[in-house]
Amino acid sequence: MIEICRVSKSYNRGQVKAVDDVSLTVQGGEIFGFLGPNGAGKTTLIKMITGILNADRGSIKINGRDIKDSPLEAKMQFGFVPDDPNIFSRLTGIEYLNFMADVYQVSSEIRVERIQKLLERFEMSTAAADLIQSYSHGMKQKIVVIGALLHNPPVWILDEPMTGLDPRSSYDLKEMMREHADAGKTVFFSTHVLEVAEKVCDRLAIINKGRMIFCGSLEEIRTHARENRSLENLFLELTENA
Amino acid sequence: MHRFWALLKILLINYFGISIFQMKTSKNRKPYFKKIGLVLLIIVALAPTIALYVKLLVRGFDALAPLGQEGAILTLGIVLVSFIVFLFGIFYIINFFYFADDAQSLLALPLSGYQVLGARFSVVLVNEYLSALPFLLPPLLVYGIKSGASVLYWLYALVGFALVPLLPLGLATIPTVIIMRFANLSRRKDLLKILGGLVVIVLAVGYQFLFQKSGPNAMDTAYLQHLLTDRSGLMNLMSRVFPSTRYLGLALINADQLSGLVNLLVFAGLSLLVVALAWLTGDKLYFKGLVGSTETTVKRKKLSEADYRRAGKGLPPLLSYWAKEMRLLFRTPTYFINSVMTNLLVPVLLTIPFFIQGRNQETTMPWEKLLSEPRGQTIIMAIIVGGIVFIIGSNAVTATSISREGRELYVSKYIPLSYRKQILAKLLSGYLLGMSGAVLMIIAARVLMPLDNYLIAMLVGVTLVAVIPVVEAGLLIDLYNPKLNWENEQQAFKQNFNVIFSMLLAILLGGGIIYIVIRYIHTPVQAALFILLGFGLAALFLYYFLMTWGVRRCHELEG
Ligand SMILES: Nc1ncnc2c1ncn2[C@@H]1O[C@H](COP(=O)(O)OP(=O)(O)O)[C@@H](O)[C@H]1O
Ligand SMILES: [Mg+2]
Repeated sequence: MIEICRVSKSYNRGQVKAVDDVSLTVQGGEIFGFLGPNGAGKTTLIKMITGILNADRGSIKINGRDIKDSPLEAKMQFGFVPDDPNIFSRLTGIEYLNFMADVYQVSSEIRVERIQKLLERFEMSTAAADLIQSYSHGMKQKIVVIGALLHNPPVWILDEPMTGLDPRSSYDLKEMMREHADAGKTVFFSTHVLEVAEKVCDRLAIINKGRMIFCGSLEEIRTHARENRSLENLFLELTENA
Repeated sequence: MHRFWALLKILLINYFGISIFQMKTSKNRKPYFKKIGLVLLIIVALAPTIALYVKLLVRGFDALAPLGQEGAILTLGIVLVSFIVFLFGIFYIINFFYFADDAQSLLALPLSGYQVLGARFSVVLVNEYLSALPFLLPPLLVYGIKSGASVLYWLYALVGFALVPLLPLGLATIPTVIIMRFANLSRRKDLLKILGGLVVIVLAVGYQFLFQKSGPNAMDTAYLQHLLTDRSGLMNLMSRVFPSTRYLGLALINADQLSGLVNLLVFAGLSLLVVALAWLTGDKLYFKGLVGSTETTVKRKKLSEADYRRAGKGLPPLLSYWAKEMRLLFRTPTYFINSVMTNLLVPVLLTIPFFIQGRNQETTMPWEKLLSEPRGQTIIMAIIVGGIVFIIGSNAVTATSISREGRELYVSKYIPLSYRKQILAKLLSGYLLGMSGAVLMIIAARVLMPLDNYLIAMLVGVTLVAVIPVVEAGLLIDLYNPKLNWENEQQAFKQNFNVIFSMLLAILLGGGIIYIVIRYIHTPVQAALFILLGFGLAALFLYYFLMTWGVRRCHELEG
């Protein structure tokens, strides 16, 4: 469960209001989509949830642990897939995964099995011994996804996870998100593609220019869009962006 | 040629950052003043050393003048600079020719090898002039003023200054370009290039060493007599390392005669010849050493069950974070060369001047007499500890440890590892690398002089503590203002003021120890106690500071 309560954040000493008074709650067992055009503030919000940025105002709790007051416990609760997977290019895939397993304190019996299983699932087994430097964008994305799942996190947070994945891996990833949610865990992901959101989420929020415009189920959004013109416009914008 | 100048200008702007070129137009003068302030700071920090150097030169001049050999101080300066230019040159060239990120993009431009190489060579040359200045200017001035030299001398001095770095830099270029060409053939290119750099340095030092050994021994009495009676005896002795430097020395001494001009021309000719040779070699080999140099080999081999088990043994989080740091330090060529190699190189550099003298069993070296009494032991101890402090400050392992994370900083922020532990892991990297440099330094000292085991044990003990505050201070410097916004790893080091701050701090600290101990302390035990106490207290204080302010700062930093 993720509880976000009246969170704001601005850059450049208040000149750019990236996230403006956003509140939402994501329950366990659901896939929650966070939809918005480029520059809407999705990454900024996700960075605040994960403790990368400090919120100017408001509070964020992950499974009841406040990211500000008990950061380590909160960080243990989630696995995070950032939007830019360019990390540690001078480590090999397997070194990176073991580093992640170490930090999240995954015992060695469990990790050996999980790493193998996930590498196979993403068809990365043969690349694991090579430097991440030698990976394509999609392969980097996959190794990061695997790294985020090693400790079997109760909450899974992904920032634009489908970008750069081939159709096959994209399908696999969606399936894994589904499995994760069906096991009672929380999945929170951002996207600027309406189609993706429509296909995968149970519930979604739409954000534009830092403000949350809508939050609810897919059904609700469809009825809402017919009544409310501005929402429709936004919808159009989003569809065009895709 | 037009293309050459265009390229040179771009490279210069690129290398020296915005600095000179944009300053004139920009309204915001703040960074400008910052840079001037920094330069002033460097001058202030170096001033005592330079003052000492000048004092030595003046004494040397006075002592040698009755023998008619005062010109030797010129040769000393020229040889010293040539040597420094040569060693730095190898570093600059490896860094700037092969590991700069724009090296690759230049391949796509319609430029020939010698144009690119020439432009890069020139940028390195500008750097070398800056490094040469503090070493070469003093002897030129001291000699000129004390001998009441003519206008012609000053003119020759100016030309000479411009010429001096050319030959050693050319000499450094040739083997480097050749070795890099072959290193690029291999599958593990990064590694081989690093090793290639090491090989060049070892070969160069080995060559100098052998060269010295083959000549007559400086301590041989008959030879000594010849040295002192022949007018250019001393000059000949010193210039054996770089034989061409002799001509410049002669040109300056005989500036008023025709032979002066002839010697200057010979020197200029030799220098230009070597540069031409270097560019010619570069034209053939430089691009071949670059093409595909960022490719990495891909095995795409399936890991076995045993491989997974071996890799998956697991480490405590703090150690795992530390291991990751060390891997990146050793595998990233820029980091390796600037941090790890500095550790290795400084002890070697400090040892060379003594080797050049040539050592044999019968004669005693001045410091051997020193070592037989407590006062002398104290001095030697202070110098060694001071040197170690300097090495650790200049390897900048902790002073760049936040900067090196760059855009990856966010990883440190979202993983469930406390900032306290991250700080400890970074200190550990700095400490271990620092200690390795320290041990090398002590070994070098032991090779040079008969330190007794008691003194060595004390040195090791003192160093174990003395390293700590230097490492801590480096991390504090970097935490205060890390350079996170870089595109390539070079910038994290080369355009990072924190490296300079850390070096300055090390000079002050190292110099401080040497000064205080030599001035006020008379036995090695007292010196050891003093250093232990001073550095121990500093270590505790800085540790407290890191764990309070430092942790808060980690929390504030937003990649
Ligand atoms: N580091 C930063 N400094 C200043 N402005 C930023 C920074 N990061 C993002 N912004 C601005 O904040 C807004 C939201 O950005 P972001 O959260 O990255 O959007 P999204 O992920 O939805 O595309 C944008 O207007 C962007 O320009
Ligand atoms: Mg984004």
